[in-house]
Amino acid sequence: MSAKLNVGSELRSSPRPMTRERMRWYVDAQATVAADNGRIATQDPTIHDDDDYARKQGLPGIIADGMISTNWIMNLLLDEFGEAFARKGSLRTKYIAPIYENQIVISCARVTSIEPAPGGEAAYQLEVWCEDDTRKKLTVGEATVYASRG
Amino acid sequence: MATGRYVSDLDSGDLLGPVEYTLSAFAVREYCHAVELHQDYFQGVENQIAPPTLVHLEKLRLYRHACPAGTGPSARVHVEYDATFHDAVKVGEPLRVQGKVTERFNKRGRDYVQIDMEVRAARDNRLLVSYRDTVILSYQARESAA
Repeated sequence: MSAKLNVGSELRSSPRPMTRERMRWYVDAQATVAADNGRIATQDPTIHDDDDYARKQGLPGIIADGMISTNWIMNLLLDEFGEAFARKGSLRTKYIAPIYENQIVISCARVTSIEPAPGGEAAYQLEVWCEDDTRKKLTVGEATVYASRG
Repeated sequence: MATGRYVSDLDSGDLLGPVEYTLSAFAVREYCHAVELHQDYFQGVENQIAPPTLVHLEKLRLYRHACPAGTGPSARVHVEYDATFHDAVKVGEPLRVQGKVTERFNKRGRDYVQIDMEVRAARDNRLLVSYRDTVILSYQARESAA
């Protein structure tokens, strides 16, 4: 699954626009998980789904919740390494620039080291980030993934 | 102690929780659908687990428990997610989450709050996810806030 990766190998997702709907899905998910009653729940206006409210908070308009880009990076690593990454590993993401409506987001990862780990696995260290279609970095961080090396 | 009212009141040393709960299959599927994690182990019906990113909503669970009056005067902005995954978080397994405000500090006119949290299996206290969360309590810097 990860045998083909070496130090310096890079993973990149397809570009995705951060649409208004994607931002709202996360807002609704927060209330829905909290209610956990089998129905979709909504919440009061947030900076992620209400332009007027966002402007009152000093923003030019709605911005994406940072956890969307974190989850998109998570998805990139799960697609490469599989379910094991949801069970053991680490992920740090820092949101260094707001992501605005319809901004293009590409999730990326680069292997920075591969070391032997207990149990015959390898510990992959990766630099992770999200960038837009001008290569401006929006989210940065790092991950540790434990996987076999084939 | 600054708990009991607004999230914006939280201060260094405040303890959040513990809160015991169980993640339902519905809650995990809805979360994963919203963030486009379409893997079977998250969205299927058997041996379902939760993505470790869902720990961010456990912070909101602690907020609701410790700060029942809500957010406070301004919207928070999430700055950093920093999680270590120790073991799978299984759907239907009783869980316990607790946290501590490790730091509240001001940087360039904005108040930051950092919380360290742990999600453990309630039955045997196994550590499942440890998480450090950093937020800005208000996007507007204090001197420019009206």
